[in-house]
Amino acid sequence: MASQVTVFVENKPGRISHIARILGKNNINIRAITISDRGEYGLINIIASDPDRAHDILLKEGFSVSRNYVIGVLMKDRPGALADITEYLNESEINISNAYGFILKSGDKAVLILEVDDFDRAEEVIRGGGFHTLSKEELVNL
Amino acid sequence: MDEAYWDKEIETIDRHSLQQLQLERLNKTLERASKSQYYKRRIPAKINNLTALKDIPFTTKSDLRNSFPEGMLAVSRDEIVRLHASSGTTGRATVIYHTKRDIDNWTDLVARSMYMTGVRKSDVFQNMMGYGLFTGGLGLHYGSERLGALIIPASSGNSKRQIRLMKDFHSTVVHIIPSYALYLYTLFQEEGIDPKNDLDLRIAFLGAEPHSEETKLRLENLFGLDAYNSYGLSEMNGPGVAFECQLKDGMHVWEDSYILEIIDPDTGEGLSDGEEGEIVFTTLKREGMPIIRYRTGDIAQTYPEECPCGRTHRKISRIKGRTDDMLIVKGVNVYPMQIEKVLMDIPEVDNNYLIEIETVDYLDSLNIKVEVRQNIFHGGIKKLESLKKRISENLKNETLISPRITLVEPNSLPKSEGKAVRVVDKRDRDV
Repeated sequence: MASQVTVFVENKPGRISHIARILGKNNINIRAITISDRGEYGLINIIASDPDRAHDILLKEGFSVSRNYVIGVLMKDRPGALADITEYLNESEINISNAYGFILKSGDKAVLILEVDDFDRAEEVIRGGGFHTLSKEELVNL
Repeated sequence: MDEAYWDKEIETIDRHSLQQLQLERLNKTLERASKSQYYKRRIPAKINNLTALKDIPFTTKSDLRNSFPEGMLAVSRDEIVRLHASSGTTGRATVIYHTKRDIDNWTDLVARSMYMTGVRKSDVFQNMMGYGLFTGGLGLHYGSERLGALIIPASSGNSKRQIRLMKDFHSTVVHIIPSYALYLYTLFQEEGIDPKNDLDLRIAFLGAEPHSEETKLRLENLFGLDAYNSYGLSEMNGPGVAFECQLKDGMHVWEDSYILEIIDPDTGEGLSDGEEGEIVFTTLKREGMPIIRYRTGDIAQTYPEECPCGRTHRKISRIKGRTDDMLIVKGVNVYPMQIEKVLMDIPEVDNNYLIEIETVDYLDSLNIKVEVRQNIFHGGIKKLESLKKRISENLKNETLISPRITLVEPNSLPKSEGKAVRVVDKRDRDV
């Protein structure tokens, strides 16, 4: 199980750059980032090279930060790959609350980050379907 | 023309006779009030001159709260047929008791007021004010029935139904709070209704919220009707204390039923006509719970000049402000302290909030900023959303309003040295 760091920010200019600079200065590599716009506030979701340190540093800088588990699924970078896995999850009645992906090696490998309602069951189901889920260390060492 | 007046004799009484009438009724009031626990030894048995009024102590909201529930009752409870009480689930409440005659007199004042603005038996009156403990609903209801118009006791809310009623029954008069009227207009636009052509509205009573002249004119233009300002407070029954006549240049206070004083809020000294100060009322006809020299907290001035309408009762200006920090949001009285208490009682919020008072669409509006500190965010977004919901519900239960809640970053609210400033007034100061 991997972890994602979520930062609460007001919808003001400069928030992302401010956070990115803090992590950069502290030698933390951002592997993936997405933002949720909730109107007057937003959430920045980060997959970091060192989620624990990222969490503590941002906390120290005065941000409100939460951490939650995500599942990282290793996939093939080809048409239909995403449909395959999501159809499968749908059949198994796994509900996805958040998802985003990024390429590891173009044409070869990609990673799908998933937030689900029931992590343990989801992991079991995903592995059962022949997919590979990334462990904490693997996600960090991508 | 007699038909212009509901009660010509009283409405056009000469000032000298009015003052004699006031003195007579004041003495009766003093006698009645002395039967209550609160006034028992506080007031003289009789006075010989209206100028002696200034020697009688004031009554404040606090006094009403402290004498809750029956401290100011001046008759036996069996004589009381209705009460109106303030809302709020914490803090002390206030209550006003009415005998049958009190209701009758109040009703007459409202009928008189409505008649003055031109309402007649042939009118259809849609009362869009909340019925219940709010005096605005029942007050105008009874007054309208006394006058003989056809009343639709619509109460507030359910906008689609309100519009339907207006169309089905060709309502000609409405009683509505200004902020709701503005909102209703946006619905009209959505439904393609042009109130000027598609509806029969000709008169609107705007009450329960202080509003600017601009708002009133705007509503008159949008709806194509005459809007009349009115002023009332539950301590003085409710609506029917002061009302604009058709000249719409100040509100006549019914001086046969209330002694009107304007005082300097800091010194308590009486001020002259035309000077701005705090309105103080003494009831002249109330039996169940007479109130003497009640400090309303509202600031206004009198217009003593003769009114071309022929009525000799002095007019007051619109309310210019308050002596305390009470706000009126969507027709509801709110003290910032009530809100603060609710917020501080929620452990996740504690004292990390800021209450901003703003002017939105010419009316008072609240925006409550709450810091999203680590201790509430570490649980994730779902917890945050449920917290926001809880804050909103608690506020609604206590104050009856649902102010806007804005979540902000931790430590982003101004910190001050010494006493924390948690209420900021950002309203437009209008003339």
